[in-house]
Amino acid sequence: MELTPHVQEKLHSGHKLTAVVEAGLVQDFVKTTRVVALIELGAHETKQGGEQALLIFQTVRVPVHSAIDLSIERVLPIDSALRCEIDTSSTDVHTDVLVNITSGKIRLLFEMPFSQRTNTFVSEVLRAAEVISKRRGPPPEFAWLSPYQASASSSNQGNTNSLSGQGTPVNGQETAYPPATATLVDLGDDVPNAANSPYLDPSSDITDNNILQGETERSPELGVNRHGIATGISPTPIAARESHIRHQMALREDSYTDIHDFVFFIGTWNVNGRSPIVGLADWLAVDEDPPDVYCVGFQELDLNTETFLFNNTPKEHEWLNAVLNGIHPKARYQKVRLVRLVGMMLIVLVQEKHLAYIRNVAVDTVGTGIMNKLGNKGGVSVRLDLHSTSICIVNAHMAAHMDELERRNEDHDCILQRTCFHTNINSPPKTIKDHDHIYFFGDMNYRINHCDLNVRELASSGQFKQLLEFDQLQQQKNIKRIFHKFHEGAITFKPTFKYDVDSDEWDSSEKNREPAWCDRILWYGDSIKQKVYRSHPSLKISDHKPVSAVFVAGIKVIDTRRYRRNYEEVMKKLDRLENEFLPQVTVITTEIILEPVKFLQSQTKSLTIANTGQVPVQYEFIKKLNDSSYCKPWLRITPYSHFLMPGEKCDINLEVLVDKRTAAHLNSGHDKLYDILVLHLDGGKDIFITITGDYERSCFGSSINALVHMNKPFREVPIARLIDLESSQPKELSDLPYAIPKELWYLVDHLHSHALQVEGLFTISGRIKEFIDIRNCLDEGVPNDLLPGSVHSVAEALLFFLEALPDSVIPVALYKEAIDATPNFSLCKEVIAKLPVYHRNVFTYLMAFLKELLKQSEGG
Amino acid sequence: MSAGPYNYSYIFKYIIIGDMGVGKSCLLHQFTEKKFMADCPHTIGVEFGTRIIEVAGQKIKLQIWDTAGQERFRAVTRSYYRGAAGALMVYDITRRSTYNHLSSWLTDARNLTNPNTVIFLIGNKADLDAQRDVTYEEAKQFAEENGLMFVEASAKTGENVEEAFLETAKKIYQNIQDGSLDLNAAESGVQHKPTQPGRTNLNNDSQQNRDNCSC
Repeated sequence: MELTPHVQEKLHSGHKLTAVVEAGLVQDFVKTTRVVALIELGAHETKQGGEQALLIFQTVRVPVHSAIDLSIERVLPIDSALRCEIDTSSTDVHTDVLVNITSGKIRLLFEMPFSQRTNTFVSEVLRAAEVISKRRGPPPEFAWLSPYQASASSSNQGNTNSLSGQGTPVNGQETAYPPATATLVDLGDDVPNAANSPYLDPSSDITDNNILQGETERSPELGVNRHGIATGISPTPIAARESHIRHQMALREDSYTDIHDFVFFIGTWNVNGRSPIVGLADWLAVDEDPPDVYCVGFQELDLNTETFLFNNTPKEHEWLNAVLNGIHPKARYQKVRLVRLVGMMLIVLVQEKHLAYIRNVAVDTVGTGIMNKLGNKGGVSVRLDLHSTSICIVNAHMAAHMDELERRNEDHDCILQRTCFHTNINSPPKTIKDHDHIYFFGDMNYRINHCDLNVRELASSGQFKQLLEFDQLQQQKNIKRIFHKFHEGAITFKPTFKYDVDSDEWDSSEKNREPAWCDRILWYGDSIKQKVYRSHPSLKISDHKPVSAVFVAGIKVIDTRRYRRNYEEVMKKLDRLENEFLPQVTVITTEIILEPVKFLQSQTKSLTIANTGQVPVQYEFIKKLNDSSYCKPWLRITPYSHFLMPGEKCDINLEVLVDKRTAAHLNSGHDKLYDILVLHLDGGKDIFITITGDYERSCFGSSINALVHMNKPFREVPIARLIDLESSQPKELSDLPYAIPKELWYLVDHLHSHALQVEGLFTISGRIKEFIDIRNCLDEGVPNDLLPGSVHSVAEALLFFLEALPDSVIPVALYKEAIDATPNFSLCKEVIAKLPVYHRNVFTYLMAFLKELLKQSEGG
Repeated sequence: MSAGPYNYSYIFKYIIIGDMGVGKSCLLHQFTEKKFMADCPHTIGVEFGTRIIEVAGQKIKLQIWDTAGQERFRAVTRSYYRGAAGALMVYDITRRSTYNHLSSWLTDARNLTNPNTVIFLIGNKADLDAQRDVTYEEAKQFAEENGLMFVEASAKTGENVEEAFLETAKKIYQNIQDGSLDLNAAESGVQHKPTQPGRTNLNNDSQQNRDNCSC
C-alpha cells in the first residue's frame, strides 16, 4: 500500500512531502508502528527555503488505508538541534535499521525496514539537517508548522507541549492503540542514559530488568548529594558512581590489559573504474602468514555518472567478491563492515576468531568533491574497537592534478574534521583523532613537484631518494601542514601512477602524466610497526598499481581475571567511601546519670554531639516501637532535631522535671527515671542514649488512701511500703489511719490560721523556692507544726498537692455524675455518699475550709 | 531508568542480631571494609553499613543494620527487625552462653520479621578453634531443625564472611524470583527503588511527635 498519497492528504497547501517511511517506534520493550514523514515548506513560501520538519503519525491500522487512519503525534522541526543517526551497532544486515532521531530532549528510536525507501528517507533527513546547519542568518521560526503542532497536541489529549517533550506517555485517541509507556527519554544534562536502546556499550553488563520497567518514566536523578549516599533516597550517587568507576578503571587499564600483537593488512588501489577481471591474491595474499585484519580500500570503483548521482553500483559486489576470493587462504575471515561513497569503498575483514572482540563498529563518509560535498572525492571510514584498542580506518581519495596541492590539503583537513562516528547513544560522537590507532590511506593524489629531474627515468631505475624529496605529500607532512603525528614507512617501490592500462609502461596518453606516488598508507598510534610497504605491479588492469602495507599492531587485550579483580577493588573502594560518607557523630556520653530528682525541681543535663563525619548530619530523636513520644513525659529534649555541618558541635539540653502529671506514676513505681533515647542520624546509624536517675518520692503525687495510712513523716516510710500502699490492694494498712492525709491538714490548717484575712489568696502565686521548703517540710516532718514560706506559697502548695493526686478528690469515675448533680441538692448528697471514705473526708474538710474562707472574705 | 551498569536494582535490608560481644560489628566491618576491627567498642545503638553486591548479574545494595547486643537494649533493638529481608544471627563459638541464647534471638527474629525473611546463623570466631565451646555439628543441627542457613565464620580472618552475606542475598533473590517474596508487601525488606532507611522504621506510626519542630 502506497503511503505517500495518504500522507500528502494530511499536509497543508504549500507544504511538500519529501520522503515518508513506515517505522516501528521502539519504546522500552514495546514497538508500535508510526509513519514518519519529512515535509518541506515550498520554496516560494520562504525567502531562504529549506525549512523542513518531521511529522510523526500514529496510525490506527497497518497498512494505512487512508488519510483518516493517520493522526499527527509529534512535529519535529529540522533545526540545528535535530540529529538523525543510524544505529550501526547491529552487525546483522538482515535486521531492520535502527534510526535514532533526537531533537533537544526528545529521543525517538525507530526501527525501519531495510529498504530503499528507508535509505531515501534517512538520506533526505540527513541532507535536510545538513542544509540547516549550513544556513546563515537567524534560525528559522517554523511558524508554518503550527497547524500540525496544534493537531498533534489535540490528539495527545492535552499534552500541549509536544515540542518540548516532557517524557509523558503519548496516548493515541484510539482505544485500540496500545498506550505507549514512555515515548521519550529525558536526556539529562550530563547523565549518560542507558535507557531505550538495547544496543548498549557491550562492555557494560547491563541487566535487562523487567521489574524496573515501572519506573522507567522517572527521569534520571541528577546531582549528587553525598549526604544521601547511604540513605538510598534520590540523590544516590548513581551517576557519580558510574563515572567514578569508569574513570578508575581507565586509570588502572595497564594493570589488567596485555598487549597482543595483531597483524593488519592495509591495501589501497585506485581501480580506474575497471572490473576485477584478475584475481587479487597477488596483492592480498602474498605474505606467508594470514593477517588478523584486512582493511582494503578502493578508489574510482565506478566512474559512471549514474553511480555519482545515485550512489548505486554493481561494482561494489564484484570487488567485494574479488577481495573475498583473493584474501589469504590460511585463515577464515568475516566481514566487519563495508562502506562506500560513490567510487570510494572500504572493506574491513577480520579473522573469524576475532569477531567476538570487535565492538562499536561505526562508519562515516565525507564527500569533498564537487561543491565540497559530493562523493567523487573524500573519505570513507570505519571505526571499531578491537579488544580495548580503538581503531579508525580511513580510505581517502583526494583532489587530483599536480597543481591542486592546496585542494588535497583541504581534502585532508575536511576528512579529519568532518568524519564523525556515532557508536551508541551513551557516548559522544567520535572523530578520527579520537582513536588509539589510525590507518589513513588511499589515493592521496600528491604528486612529484615540478623539478629539473627526469622523473620517469629516475622512477624507472629505482632512484627514488631524489624524487621523494619532491614528493608533495612528504613535503607537506614535513612542514606539518598535513598528517601531523602520522607516520609513513620508507618508500622503496616505484611510483604507482600513472601507467598505461594492462602494462607496466608509464602513461603514454596525450595527457602524459608524470609518475607519482599517489597511493599511500600512513598510520598513527604507538605500538604499531610497519613490516612491509610495497606496490604490486603485477596487477595491471588500472592506471594505478595497488599498494599494501603490513603492520604489527599492539592491541590492548583485557585479562578478564585481572579486570574483574581491579573492578572489584574499585567497587570495594567505592563501597568503603560510601560508608565513610555515612553520617558520623560523636556523643560525649551515652549514659546520662541524673542527680536525685525531686518533685517540681527541674534538673538539666547537657549532651554534646559533634559531627565527626565528612558529611552534614541531621539528627533527630525518634520514637521507639509502640511509644507515643521520643522520650518519657518527665523529660524534655531541646533541640530534639538539628542540623550539623561537619566539624560542628551542638549541645542538647535534657531537662528532667517531675510534676503533677508524672509524679504519681513514679511514686507508685509504674514508671522509673529510666529511658533509652534513640538518637537517629538521617541516613545513618542510631545511637542509644541511656538516661537514669533516682526519684525522691514525695507526698505530692501520693494518693489520699495511701497518705492516711502513713503515721510517720513521708520520708520515713520505706519505699516498699509506699509502693504497697499505692497498689490497688495494699497488704499492710495502718491500724489507726488518719481521717485525712496529715499533709493536707498541715496545709489547710496553716492557711486557716494565717491567711483567712489575706487578700488574693489562691490568686497570687507563690515562690518555687518556698514551695521546695514546704515540700521538704511536709515530707520530712513539720517542725513545731509550722510551715515555712508565705501564705501564698502554702496556698499554691495546696493546689499542687490536690493536682498531683493520682485520683482527684472526686474520683474521675464520678466526674460526670457529680457535674450532672450540681443543680440538685439531694443528688449531690447521693454523689458525696458514693465517694470513697477518705476522699469524702477530704471533700468535707476542704468544703468546710472553703466555706470559712468565703465567710471571712465576705466579712472583710 | 533501567539499571545502568553500576547502578543497583534492589535494596535488601539486613539486620545483624545476637548477644553482646559475639562480633556482629566486626562481621559488618569485615564485610564492608575488608578489615578486622581489633578494638571494636560495644555498639551503643544501631550501626549502619552498605555495600553493593552482585547476584545473578543483578546489582544489589545491601543496607545492613548492626544492632546493639546488650540485653538492656533488647527492647529498643526489636524496633529494627521490621522490614528486614535478611537476618544474620550471630553467636560466638567460644562462648556457649551466646549459643544458648539463640532460641530467644530466633523467637524475636521470627516474631518481628515477615515469614520470608532469610535467617542466616553465623558461628563467629571460627579462628579460635582451640577455645571452641560449641561444636560445629550441634550448631549445624540447630540450624537444620530451625530451617536456618548456617556457616562458621571469622570476622578476624574474613573466612566465610563474604559467603554469609552473599548466600543470604542469593536466597532472598531466589525468593523474589520464585515469587515467594512479595515485593509489594510493605515489610518485604526489599526495594527495587531507593528509599530512605531508618526514618520511620521504629514505629508503625510514620508521623512523629514533632509539633515543636523548628527545622
